[in-house]
Amino acid sequence: MSKPTVIVVGADKGGVGKTTVARTLLDYFTAHHLPTRAFDTESPKGTLKRFHPEDCDIVDVTSVADQMRIFDTLTSADASVTIIDVRAGLLSPTLRALRDIGFLDAVKKGQLNFIIFHILGSSIASLNEIEDTAAFAVDSKYFLVKNFINNTSFFEWDQATHASYFRKLKDAIEITIPKLNEMAYEQVELASVPFLTFVANKGAKGDSANYSFVLRGYVRHWLGNVWGEYDRIKLNELVASSAAPAQAPRVQAVGRS
Amino acid sequence: MQPAPIYIVASPRPRVGKTLLARLLIEFFYSRSRPLVGYDLNPRESLLAERFPKLVWPVDITGTRGQMELFDRLIADTASTKIIDLGSPLFDHFFSVVREIGFIQEARRLSMEPIVLFIADPAPATMRSYAELRSRLAVTTVPVHNESVSLMFAKEDFPGSGPESGLIRIPRLSAIVRGVIDRPSFSFGAYLDRRQGGPTEIHEWIAQIFNEFRDLELRMLMGRVNLSLGRGGRREDQSAG
Repeated sequence: MSKPTVIVVGADKGGVGKTTVARTLLDYFTAHHLPTRAFDTESPKGTLKRFHPEDCDIVDVTSVADQMRIFDTLTSADASVTIIDVRAGLLSPTLRALRDIGFLDAVKKGQLNFIIFHILGSSIASLNEIEDTAAFAVDSKYFLVKNFINNTSFFEWDQATHASYFRKLKDAIEITIPKLNEMAYEQVELASVPFLTFVANKGAKGDSANYSFVLRGYVRHWLGNVWGEYDRIKLNELVASSAAPAQAPRVQAVGRS
Repeated sequence: MQPAPIYIVASPRPRVGKTLLARLLIEFFYSRSRPLVGYDLNPRESLLAERFPKLVWPVDITGTRGQMELFDRLIADTASTKIIDLGSPLFDHFFSVVREIGFIQEARRLSMEPIVLFIADPAPATMRSYAELRSRLAVTTVPVHNESVSLMFAKEDFPGSGPESGLIRIPRLSAIVRGVIDRPSFSFGAYLDRRQGGPTEIHEWIAQIFNEFRDLELRMLMGRVNLSLGRGGRREDQSAG
């Protein structure tokens, strides 16, 4: 049996674009033909589920029943990659829960791949989160994601302060999510489809859509840059031990129909 | 089906004859009864749109809405020949958007061929802009030598994108005659049809330029034929645009 990979996407601060990053990851693995399932902890609404209804379930990650739903099925699920979109404020409690149920021990023993995408906001509070989170990330791949999608400027990050935090994390790797044209972002939101489906000009059910070519072009270009970052960190190889590696695809007009 | 060309009349410099060249193209294709639409990307002074209000749309592409108005329309209408008069202040922005949204590849996928008619001049900045455009965007580029802007033209400074691109030369006109063609009611096509009293300097000037346009069309056609026969050498849309 191949080794399962769990990817936690989270931040303790809200509004930093966790779900957007989770969506790009789902698209990335879809394009790489890696069977992936996702859990949306934004109960009961579920933003991630709205975009990826077939691949995503809504869970309450603090409840034991839902923890069993996620972690007891890691080896039996068809999907080799599990993405958990952790809602604001729950990153640290989730990581604590993972420690308590022995998940982190399994990672340490090499039975599981564990990847953390810690989405950072522009505030100092985000930098403080790093220290708390890093304590649980010893045996994981830990990525610090600077998300510029909403044109965030990390103005509060004095260079020296920034460096002092990042020095503490010798294994953490920084990822940059570039800005996406606002109108393009808004149109994908309205369409409620994965980014790839929008680029392919398809509706939620695989039917033909009539999205603007310009906006599709902006999304394709942006998604290509995001995936460029994932290729840079060799994300595909990181999960490859749990599935057959695939060639890096380019963002193109292929739907999920 | 023949690809419908999209002519982009461009230069990073103002007052080098972009709108004049766009006017000539419109009248050339109009006189040949081609389906035709023009776009005037000079937000401050839409002279082309004012001259051809039924054929030319003024569009401000500084915002996303304007970009959608232009590019979504361009790809929606695959049958018409399009002529874009690109204002010099928007030169970099326009080509940056074109590159980012993958316009060249999409146009070619839909059997439309974008052709940049680049009005050359001897300024080093213009040469740099031309070289940058060529290196960043895989698009057919045709240098244009407007003799009213500069008498000298160094072909090696403005190499075309392929053997089919060649060069378009716009001969110099005397100042008095220039005043005639700048009149709002003046039409090249209508003037060319009238030969009362024999050909004039303007007749010859228009005829020469229209011949250049015919030659360009022919070169593009030959380029496509050669490509389809496997003799085209290179087609520059293989790389990302």
